[in-house]
Amino acid sequence: MARLGRSGTKSQKRSPKRLILGVFIFAAIALVLAQSAPQVRTFFNPVRTTVGDQLGGKEGFNAWAWITGQAERERRIKELEAEVRNLSRYKAAAISMAERLEAYEEILNLMGEPPARGVTARVTAENDGPFAQTILANAGRAQGVEPGAIALNEGGLVGRVIQLGEYSSRILLITDFNSRVPVMGEVSGVRAILYGGRDGLGSLTDLPERDDFIEGERILTSAEGGAFPRGLIVGEVRKVGADWRVKFSMAERDGGYVQMIPPPEIRKPVELEVETPAIAASPAQGARQ
Amino acid sequence: MSRSAPRNKKTLWSQTGPTPRLLFGAFAIATIGLLGLTPREFFGFSIAWPYAALWGAVGWGRVGLSLRPMILLILFGLVQDVTFHAPLGCFVILNLLAYGASAAIADMFDVMNEPLVAILSPVLLFSGAFLLLWLMASTLEDHPVRVLPLFASLLTTGLAYAVFQKVFDLGRRPGELAGQAG
Repeated sequence: MARLGRSGTKSQKRSPKRLILGVFIFAAIALVLAQSAPQVRTFFNPVRTTVGDQLGGKEGFNAWAWITGQAERERRIKELEAEVRNLSRYKAAAISMAERLEAYEEILNLMGEPPARGVTARVTAENDGPFAQTILANAGRAQGVEPGAIALNEGGLVGRVIQLGEYSSRILLITDFNSRVPVMGEVSGVRAILYGGRDGLGSLTDLPERDDFIEGERILTSAEGGAFPRGLIVGEVRKVGADWRVKFSMAERDGGYVQMIPPPEIRKPVELEVETPAIAASPAQGARQ
Repeated sequence: MSRSAPRNKKTLWSQTGPTPRLLFGAFAIATIGLLGLTPREFFGFSIAWPYAALWGAVGWGRVGLSLRPMILLILFGLVQDVTFHAPLGCFVILNLLAYGASAAIADMFDVMNEPLVAILSPVLLFSGAFLLLWLMASTLEDHPVRVLPLFASLLTTGLAYAVFQKVFDLGRRPGELAGQAG
Protein backbone atom coordinates (compact mmCIF):
# COMPACT_ATOMS: atom_id res chain seq x y z
CA MET A 1 0.00 0.00 0.00
CA ALA A 2 2.95 2.28 0.57
CA ARG A 3 3.60 4.54 -2.30
CA LEU A 4 6.86 5.86 -3.62
CA GLY A 5 5.52 8.51 -5.93
CA ARG A 6 3.96 8.25 -9.35
CA SER A 7 7.19 7.79 -11.23
CA GLY A 8 8.11 4.92 -8.94
CA THR A 9 11.10 6.63 -7.28
CA LYS A 10 10.93 8.49 -4.02
CA SER A 11 11.91 12.10 -4.47
CA GLN A 12 15.16 12.77 -2.67
CA LYS A 13 14.86 16.53 -2.42
CA ARG A 14 12.27 18.18 -0.24
CA SER A 15 9.99 20.24 -2.39
CA PRO A 16 10.15 24.03 -1.89
CA LYS A 17 6.35 23.98 -2.04
CA ARG A 18 6.32 22.35 1.37
CA LEU A 19 8.34 25.26 2.66
CA ILE A 20 5.93 27.71 1.01
CA LEU A 21 2.94 25.90 2.56
CA GLY A 22 4.65 26.03 5.96
CA VAL A 23 5.31 29.74 5.57
CA PHE A 24 1.68 30.39 4.63
CA ILE A 25 0.39 28.39 7.62
CA PHE A 26 2.83 30.13 9.96
CA ALA A 27 1.78 33.54 8.60
CA ALA A 28 -1.90 32.68 9.12
CA ILE A 29 -1.23 31.55 12.70
CA ALA A 30 0.72 34.77 13.33
CA LEU A 31 -2.20 36.77 11.89
CA VAL A 32 -4.68 35.06 14.21
CA LEU A 33 -2.45 35.58 17.24
CA ALA A 34 -1.80 39.21 16.33
CA GLN A 35 -5.54 39.87 16.42
CA SER A 36 -5.64 39.14 20.13
CA ALA A 37 -4.47 42.75 20.45
CA PRO A 38 -7.48 45.09 20.09
CA GLN A 39 -5.41 47.62 18.13
CA VAL A 40 -4.63 45.03 15.45
CA ARG A 41 -8.23 43.78 15.42
CA THR A 42 -9.61 47.27 14.84
CA PHE A 43 -7.09 47.69 12.02
CA PHE A 44 -8.94 44.95 10.08
CA ASN A 45 -12.42 46.35 10.75
CA PRO A 46 -12.52 48.50 7.58
CA VAL A 47 -11.69 45.39 5.53
CA ARG A 48 -14.50 43.46 7.17
CA THR A 49 -17.05 46.25 6.70
CA THR A 50 -16.06 46.71 3.05
CA VAL A 51 -16.44 43.00 2.34
CA GLY A 52 -19.70 43.03 4.30
CA ASP A 53 -20.94 45.85 2.07
CA GLN A 54 -20.07 43.87 -1.01
CA LEU A 55 -21.63 40.66 0.28
CA GLY A 56 -24.75 41.98 1.85
CA GLY A 57 -25.27 45.62 1.08
CA LYS A 58 -26.00 45.68 -2.60
CA GLU A 59 -28.63 44.07 -4.77
CA GLY A 60 -27.51 41.98 -7.71
CA PHE A 61 -28.00 43.60 -11.11
CA ASN A 62 -30.49 41.89 -13.37
CA ALA A 63 -30.44 43.39 -16.89
CA TRP A 64 -33.68 41.74 -18.04
CA ALA A 65 -35.58 42.93 -14.98
CA TRP A 66 -34.18 46.42 -15.50
CA ILE A 67 -35.22 46.54 -19.18
CA THR A 68 -38.74 45.26 -18.59
CA GLY A 69 -39.27 47.49 -15.55
CA GLN A 70 -39.81 44.44 -13.36
CA ALA A 71 -36.97 45.50 -11.08
CA GLU A 72 -38.68 48.80 -10.30
CA ARG A 73 -42.00 47.08 -9.61
CA GLU A 74 -40.33 44.54 -7.35
CA ARG A 75 -38.52 47.31 -5.50
CA ARG A 76 -41.81 49.12 -4.94
CA ILE A 77 -43.53 45.91 -3.80
CA LYS A 78 -40.73 45.27 -1.33
CA GLU A 79 -41.04 48.80 -0.01
CA LEU A 80 -44.77 48.39 0.46
CA GLU A 81 -44.38 44.98 2.06
CA ALA A 82 -41.89 46.41 4.52
CA GLU A 83 -44.30 49.22 5.28
CA VAL A 84 -47.20 46.80 5.82
CA ARG A 85 -45.05 44.73 8.15
CA ASN A 86 -44.16 47.79 10.13
CA LEU A 87 -47.70 49.01 10.30
CA SER A 88 -49.24 45.68 11.27
CA ARG A 89 -46.78 45.34 14.11
CA TYR A 90 -47.54 48.75 15.44
CA LYS A 91 -51.28 48.44 14.86
CA ALA A 92 -51.68 45.50 17.21
CA ALA A 93 -49.55 47.08 19.88
CA ALA A 94 -51.11 50.50 19.50
CA ILE A 95 -54.72 49.34 19.86
CA SER A 96 -54.11 47.55 23.12
CA MET A 97 -51.82 50.09 24.65
CA ALA A 98 -53.01 53.48 23.52
CA GLU A 99 -55.93 53.66 25.89
CA ARG A 100 -53.99 52.55 28.94
CA LEU A 101 -51.06 54.74 28.07
CA GLU A 102 -53.21 57.79 27.74
CA ALA A 103 -54.73 57.18 31.12
CA TYR A 104 -51.38 56.63 32.77
CA GLU A 105 -49.84 59.69 31.21
CA GLU A 106 -52.74 61.76 32.39
CA ILE A 107 -52.44 60.45 35.92
CA LEU A 108 -48.68 60.95 36.04
CA ASN A 109 -48.65 64.15 34.03
CA LEU A 110 -45.97 62.46 31.94
CA MET A 111 -44.56 63.57 28.62
CA GLY A 112 -44.98 60.76 26.03
CA GLU A 113 -42.00 58.95 24.50
CA PRO A 114 -40.83 60.27 21.14
CA PRO A 115 -41.73 57.91 18.26
CA ALA A 116 -39.03 55.40 17.43
CA ARG A 117 -37.10 56.18 14.25
CA GLY A 118 -36.08 52.97 12.55
CA VAL A 119 -34.74 51.47 9.37
CA THR A 120 -36.15 48.21 8.06
CA ALA A 121 -33.63 46.07 6.21
CA ARG A 122 -33.49 42.66 4.60
CA VAL A 123 -31.31 39.96 6.11
CA THR A 124 -28.91 39.19 3.29
CA ALA A 125 -26.49 36.81 4.97
CA GLU A 126 -26.48 34.68 8.04
CA ASN A 127 -24.21 32.01 9.36
CA ASP A 128 -24.51 29.31 11.95
CA GLY A 129 -20.78 28.72 12.12
CA PRO A 130 -18.82 28.08 15.26
CA PHE A 131 -17.84 31.71 15.77
CA ALA A 132 -20.08 34.62 16.75
CA GLN A 133 -23.70 34.18 15.63
CA THR A 134 -24.31 37.18 13.45
CA ILE A 135 -26.49 38.24 10.53
CA LEU A 136 -25.84 40.82 7.85
CA ALA A 137 -28.58 43.31 6.95
CA ASN A 138 -28.58 45.43 3.80
CA ALA A 139 -28.79 48.84 5.45
CA GLY A 140 -25.93 50.80 6.90
CA ARG A 141 -24.72 54.25 7.72
CA ALA A 142 -26.06 55.63 4.42
CA GLN A 143 -29.59 54.55 5.37
CA GLY A 144 -29.34 56.12 8.82
CA VAL A 145 -28.45 53.10 10.95
CA GLU A 146 -26.53 54.15 14.03
CA PRO A 147 -23.70 52.28 15.79
CA GLY A 148 -25.14 50.01 18.46
CA ALA A 149 -28.62 50.12 16.91
CA ILE A 150 -31.16 47.61 18.21
CA ALA A 151 -32.47 45.05 15.71
CA LEU A 152 -36.03 43.73 15.99
CA ASN A 153 -38.22 41.47 13.92
CA GLU A 154 -41.90 40.57 14.09
CA GLY A 155 -41.25 38.34 17.09
CA GLY A 156 -39.16 40.70 19.17
CA LEU A 157 -35.55 41.55 19.91
CA VAL A 158 -33.05 40.09 17.43
CA GLY A 159 -29.76 41.65 18.49
CA ARG A 160 -27.52 44.63 18.32
CA VAL A 161 -25.44 46.18 15.54
CA ILE A 162 -21.77 45.46 16.24
CA GLN A 163 -20.29 46.48 12.93
CA LEU A 164 -21.55 49.21 10.66
CA GLY A 165 -20.69 49.59 7.01
CA GLU A 166 -21.84 52.16 4.51
CA TYR A 167 -24.57 49.88 3.15
CA SER A 168 -24.61 46.98 5.58
CA SER A 169 -24.82 46.22 9.27
CA ARG A 170 -23.62 43.15 11.13
CA ILE A 171 -25.92 42.24 13.98
CA LEU A 172 -24.82 40.11 16.92
CA LEU A 173 -27.80 37.87 17.70
CA ILE A 174 -29.08 37.57 21.25
CA THR A 175 -28.74 33.80 20.77
CA ASP A 176 -24.95 34.17 20.78
CA PHE A 177 -23.08 32.99 23.84
CA ASN A 178 -21.23 36.28 24.12
CA SER A 179 -24.30 38.54 23.95
CA ARG A 180 -25.53 39.91 27.26
CA VAL A 181 -29.01 41.39 27.53
CA PRO A 182 -30.40 42.75 30.81
CA VAL A 183 -33.94 41.37 31.06
CA MET A 184 -36.88 41.18 33.43
CA GLY A 185 -39.99 39.09 33.83
CA GLU A 186 -43.09 40.88 32.58
CA VAL A 187 -45.23 39.85 35.56
CA SER A 188 -42.73 38.97 38.29
CA GLY A 189 -40.39 41.88 37.54
CA VAL A 190 -37.41 39.68 38.38
CA ARG A 191 -34.21 40.97 36.80
CA ALA A 192 -31.46 38.87 35.21
CA ILE A 193 -28.87 38.87 32.46
CA LEU A 194 -29.64 36.81 29.37
CA TYR A 195 -27.09 35.12 27.14
CA GLY A 196 -27.34 32.59 24.32
CA GLY A 197 -27.26 28.93 25.19
CA ARG A 198 -25.75 26.18 23.11
CA ASP A 199 -29.09 24.39 22.62
CA GLY A 200 -31.03 27.27 21.06
CA LEU A 201 -32.53 28.42 24.36
CA GLY A 202 -31.35 31.46 26.28
CA SER A 203 -29.71 31.12 29.67
CA LEU A 204 -30.15 33.49 32.60
CA THR A 205 -27.51 34.58 35.05
CA ASP A 206 -27.26 37.05 37.95
CA LEU A 207 -30.68 36.01 39.24
CA PRO A 208 -31.80 37.30 42.62
CA GLU A 209 -31.65 34.76 45.42
CA ARG A 210 -35.16 35.21 46.75
CA ASP A 211 -37.45 36.11 43.85
CA ASP A 212 -38.26 33.76 41.00
CA PHE A 213 -39.74 33.94 37.52
CA ILE A 214 -43.22 32.67 36.74
CA GLU A 215 -43.34 29.73 34.35
CA GLY A 216 -44.38 30.90 30.88
CA GLU A 217 -44.18 34.63 31.54
CA ARG A 218 -42.78 36.92 28.90
CA ILE A 219 -39.23 38.18 29.20
CA LEU A 220 -38.64 41.81 28.30
CA THR A 221 -35.58 44.01 28.17
CA SER A 222 -35.05 45.89 31.40
CA ALA A 223 -32.95 48.76 29.95
CA GLU A 224 -30.36 48.42 32.68
CA GLY A 225 -26.98 49.48 31.38
CA GLY A 226 -28.57 51.63 28.72
CA ALA A 227 -27.75 49.40 25.74
CA PHE A 228 -31.36 48.34 25.05
CA PRO A 229 -34.60 50.25 25.49
CA ARG A 230 -37.03 48.97 28.11
CA GLY A 231 -39.89 46.63 27.29
CA LEU A 232 -38.75 44.91 24.09
CA ILE A 233 -40.02 41.35 23.89
CA VAL A 234 -37.24 38.79 24.16
CA GLY A 235 -39.07 35.53 24.73
CA GLU A 236 -40.80 33.26 27.20
CA VAL A 237 -39.27 31.80 30.33
CA ARG A 238 -39.55 28.12 31.12
CA LYS A 239 -38.06 25.79 33.68
CA VAL A 240 -35.64 23.24 32.27
CA GLY A 241 -34.38 21.02 35.06
CA ALA A 242 -33.26 23.34 37.83
CA ASP A 243 -32.57 26.29 35.52
CA TRP A 244 -34.69 28.98 34.02
CA ARG A 245 -34.30 29.10 30.23
CA VAL A 246 -35.70 31.50 27.66
CA LYS A 247 -37.38 30.51 24.42
CA PHE A 248 -36.54 33.31 21.98
CA SER A 249 -39.53 35.00 20.34
CA MET A 250 -37.54 36.26 17.40
CA ALA A 251 -36.88 32.72 16.19
CA GLU A 252 -40.60 32.02 15.76
CA ARG A 253 -41.38 35.01 13.55
CA ASP A 254 -38.35 35.20 11.32
CA GLY A 255 -39.58 36.84 8.13
CA GLY A 256 -36.15 37.70 6.77
CA TYR A 257 -36.38 41.37 7.72
CA VAL A 258 -35.14 43.33 10.70
CA GLN A 259 -35.95 46.80 11.90
CA MET A 260 -33.02 48.69 13.35
CA ILE A 261 -33.87 51.39 15.84
CA PRO A 262 -31.36 53.78 17.37
CA PRO A 263 -29.94 52.79 20.74
CA PRO A 264 -31.37 54.61 23.74
CA GLU A 265 -29.73 57.92 24.31
CA ILE A 266 -29.03 58.82 27.88
CA ARG A 267 -27.99 62.40 28.04
CA LYS A 268 -25.46 63.47 30.58
CA PRO A 269 -26.81 65.73 33.27
CA VAL A 270 -26.01 69.36 32.61
CA GLU A 271 -23.94 70.95 35.29
CA LEU A 272 -25.64 74.00 36.68
CA GLU A 273 -23.68 77.03 37.64
CA VAL A 274 -23.83 77.29 41.39
CA GLU A 275 -24.22 80.87 42.46
CA THR A 276 -22.09 81.86 45.45
CA PRO A 277 -24.40 82.98 48.25
CA ALA A 278 -24.16 86.64 49.13
CA ILE A 279 -22.47 87.25 52.47
CA ALA A 280 -25.08 88.39 54.92
CA ALA A 281 -24.51 91.84 56.30
CA SER A 282 -23.49 91.85 59.93
CA PRO A 283 -25.99 93.32 62.47
CA ALA A 284 -23.45 95.96 63.36
CA GLN A 285 -23.37 97.23 59.74
CA GLY A 286 -27.16 97.33 59.68
CA ALA A 287 -27.18 99.34 62.87
CA ARG A 288 -24.69 101.86 61.43
CA GLN A 289 -26.84 102.29 58.28
CA MET B 1 -22.45 -3.10 -40.69
CA SER B 2 -19.87 -0.98 -38.92
CA ARG B 3 -18.29 -2.09 -35.69
CA SER B 4 -19.65 -0.67 -32.42
CA ALA B 5 -17.89 2.40 -30.92
CA PRO B 6 -15.08 1.68 -28.44
CA ARG B 7 -16.45 1.17 -24.96
CA ASN B 8 -13.88 3.16 -23.00
CA LYS B 9 -14.67 6.43 -24.72
CA LYS B 10 -12.86 9.35 -23.08
CA THR B 11 -15.08 11.92 -21.45
CA LEU B 12 -14.58 15.65 -21.81
CA TRP B 13 -13.57 15.88 -18.13
CA SER B 14 -10.88 13.22 -18.47
CA GLN B 15 -9.34 15.21 -21.31
CA THR B 16 -9.39 18.46 -19.36
CA GLY B 17 -6.08 19.73 -17.94
CA PRO B 18 -5.38 20.69 -14.32
CA THR B 19 -5.79 24.45 -14.83
CA PRO B 20 -9.39 24.34 -16.15
CA ARG B 21 -10.19 21.73 -13.51
CA LEU B 22 -8.77 23.98 -10.81
CA LEU B 23 -10.76 26.96 -12.11
CA PHE B 24 -13.95 24.93 -12.37
CA GLY B 25 -13.48 23.62 -8.82
CA ALA B 26 -12.82 27.13 -7.52
CA PHE B 27 -15.96 28.37 -9.27
CA ALA B 28 -17.98 25.55 -7.69
CA ILE B 29 -16.61 26.40 -4.23
CA ALA B 30 -17.34 30.11 -4.67
CA THR B 31 -20.90 29.39 -5.87
CA ILE B 32 -21.69 26.97 -3.05
CA GLY B 33 -20.09 29.35 -0.53
CA LEU B 34 -22.13 32.32 -1.72
CA LEU B 35 -25.34 30.29 -1.72
CA GLY B 36 -24.55 29.34 1.86
CA LEU B 37 -24.76 32.98 2.90
CA THR B 38 -28.46 33.16 2.06
CA PRO B 39 -31.06 31.99 4.55
CA ARG B 40 -31.32 28.22 4.18
CA GLU B 41 -34.60 27.11 5.65
CA PHE B 42 -36.99 24.84 3.82
CA PHE B 43 -40.36 24.12 5.40
CA GLY B 44 -38.97 25.05 8.79
CA PHE B 45 -35.90 22.80 8.51
CA SER B 46 -32.52 24.46 8.64
CA ILE B 47 -29.95 22.96 6.27
CA ALA B 48 -26.38 22.46 7.45
CA TRP B 49 -24.30 24.01 4.71
CA PRO B 50 -21.04 22.37 3.65
CA TYR B 51 -17.65 24.04 4.11
CA ALA B 52 -16.97 24.02 0.38
CA ALA B 53 -13.35 25.19 0.56
CA LEU B 54 -12.46 21.94 2.33
CA TRP B 55 -13.48 20.01 -0.79
CA GLY B 56 -10.82 21.92 -2.67
CA ALA B 57 -8.26 21.42 0.09
CA VAL B 58 -8.81 17.66 0.21
CA GLY B 59 -9.33 17.14 -3.53
CA TRP B 60 -6.56 19.36 -4.84
CA GLY B 61 -4.08 18.01 -2.30
CA ARG B 62 -4.43 14.47 -3.70
CA VAL B 63 -2.03 15.24 -6.56
CA GLY B 64 0.60 16.95 -4.42
CA LEU B 65 1.43 20.50 -3.43
CA SER B 66 1.13 23.39 -5.83
CA LEU B 67 1.16 27.13 -5.47
CA ARG B 68 -2.08 28.04 -7.24
CA PRO B 69 -4.38 25.89 -5.08
CA MET B 70 -2.62 27.32 -1.99
CA ILE B 71 -3.37 30.88 -3.11
CA LEU B 72 -6.98 29.99 -3.89
CA LEU B 73 -7.38 28.32 -0.50
CA ILE B 74 -5.93 31.39 1.24
CA LEU B 75 -8.43 33.61 -0.61
CA PHE B 76 -11.35 31.32 0.24
CA GLY B 77 -10.15 31.18 3.84
CA LEU B 78 -10.09 34.96 4.16
CA VAL B 79 -13.61 35.24 2.72
CA GLN B 80 -14.78 32.54 5.15
CA ASP B 81 -13.15 34.44 8.03
CA VAL B 82 -15.10 37.56 7.12
CA THR B 83 -18.42 35.82 6.55
CA PHE B 84 -18.19 33.72 9.72
CA HIS B 85 -16.96 36.73 11.68
CA ALA B 86 -13.90 34.75 12.76
CA PRO B 87 -10.49 36.29 13.43
CA LEU B 88 -8.73 36.66 10.07
CA GLY B 89 -6.55 33.66 9.35
CA CYS B 90 -8.54 30.91 11.10
CA PHE B 91 -10.03 29.37 7.99
CA VAL B 92 -6.78 30.00 6.10
CA ILE B 93 -4.98 27.77 8.63
CA LEU B 94 -7.73 25.18 8.37
CA ASN B 95 -7.74 25.07 4.55
CA LEU B 96 -3.96 25.00 4.24
CA LEU B 97 -3.52 22.32 6.91
CA ALA B 98 -6.17 20.15 5.25
CA TYR B 99 -4.45 20.72 1.91
CA GLY B 100 -1.02 19.86 3.32
CA ALA B 101 -2.37 16.78 5.11
CA SER B 102 -4.13 15.61 1.96
CA ALA B 103 -0.89 15.99 -0.02
CA ALA B 104 1.07 14.17 2.70
CA ILE B 105 -1.37 11.24 2.68
CA ALA B 106 -1.26 11.13 -1.12
CA ASP B 107 2.53 11.08 -0.93
CA MET B 108 2.54 8.11 1.43
CA PHE B 109 -0.31 6.02 0.04
CA ASP B 110 -1.90 5.39 -3.31
CA VAL B 111 -5.09 7.37 -2.79
CA MET B 112 -6.18 6.93 -6.40
CA ASN B 113 -6.19 3.15 -6.65
CA GLU B 114 -6.48 1.77 -3.10
CA PRO B 115 -10.22 1.79 -2.28
CA LEU B 116 -9.72 1.67 1.48
CA VAL B 117 -7.32 4.62 1.46
CA ALA B 118 -9.49 6.49 -1.02
CA ILE B 119 -12.42 6.27 1.41
CA LEU B 120 -10.58 6.62 4.70
CA SER B 121 -8.36 9.55 3.82
CA PRO B 122 -11.18 12.10 3.12
CA VAL B 123 -13.04 10.86 6.21
CA LEU B 124 -9.96 11.42 8.34
CA LEU B 125 -9.15 14.75 6.72
CA PHE B 126 -12.66 16.17 7.10
CA SER B 127 -12.97 14.90 10.69
CA GLY B 128 -9.57 16.36 11.54
CA ALA B 129 -10.43 19.67 9.92
CA PHE B 130 -13.70 19.99 11.82
CA LEU B 131 -12.03 18.97 15.08
CA LEU B 132 -9.42 21.66 14.49
CA LEU B 133 -12.14 24.18 13.67
CA TRP B 134 -13.97 23.33 16.89
CA LEU B 135 -10.76 23.68 18.90
CA MET B 136 -9.87 27.01 17.28
CA ALA B 137 -13.37 28.41 17.67
CA SER B 138 -13.63 27.26 21.29
CA THR B 139 -10.22 28.73 22.14
CA LEU B 140 -10.83 32.05 20.42
CA GLU B 141 -14.41 32.42 21.67
CA ASP B 142 -13.47 31.49 25.26
CA HIS B 143 -16.14 28.80 25.58
CA PRO B 144 -16.78 25.38 24.05
CA VAL B 145 -18.82 26.14 20.93
CA ARG B 146 -21.77 24.02 19.81
CA VAL B 147 -20.80 20.67 18.35
CA LEU B 148 -24.06 19.72 16.66
CA PRO B 149 -24.08 22.33 13.84
CA LEU B 150 -20.44 21.53 13.13
CA PHE B 151 -21.15 17.83 13.05
CA ALA B 152 -24.08 18.41 10.69
CA SER B 153 -21.85 20.49 8.42
CA LEU B 154 -19.19 17.77 8.57
CA LEU B 155 -21.73 15.21 7.36
CA THR B 156 -22.95 17.50 4.57
CA THR B 157 -19.39 18.32 3.52
CA GLY B 158 -18.35 14.67 3.51
CA LEU B 159 -21.43 13.36 1.71
CA ALA B 160 -21.30 16.08 -0.94
CA TYR B 161 -17.59 15.41 -1.46
CA ALA B 162 -18.28 11.70 -1.94
CA VAL B 163 -20.66 12.60 -4.77
CA PHE B 164 -18.74 15.45 -6.42
CA GLN B 165 -15.11 14.50 -5.70
CA LYS B 166 -14.34 14.24 -9.45
CA VAL B 167 -14.78 18.02 -9.71
CA PHE B 168 -11.85 18.50 -7.32
CA ASP B 169 -9.53 15.99 -8.94
CA LEU B 170 -6.82 17.85 -10.83
CA GLY B 171 -5.92 14.75 -12.82
CA ARG B 172 -2.15 14.90 -12.68
CA ARG B 173 0.63 16.05 -10.41
CA PRO B 174 1.97 19.60 -10.66
CA GLY B 175 4.64 19.77 -13.35
CA GLU B 176 3.63 16.41 -14.79
CA LEU B 177 2.89 16.38 -18.51
CA ALA B 178 -0.26 14.93 -20.02
CA GLY B 179 0.12 11.17 -20.50
CA GLN B 180 2.72 10.83 -17.74
CA ALA B 181 0.20 10.29 -14.99
CA GLY B 182 0.18 6.80 -13.62
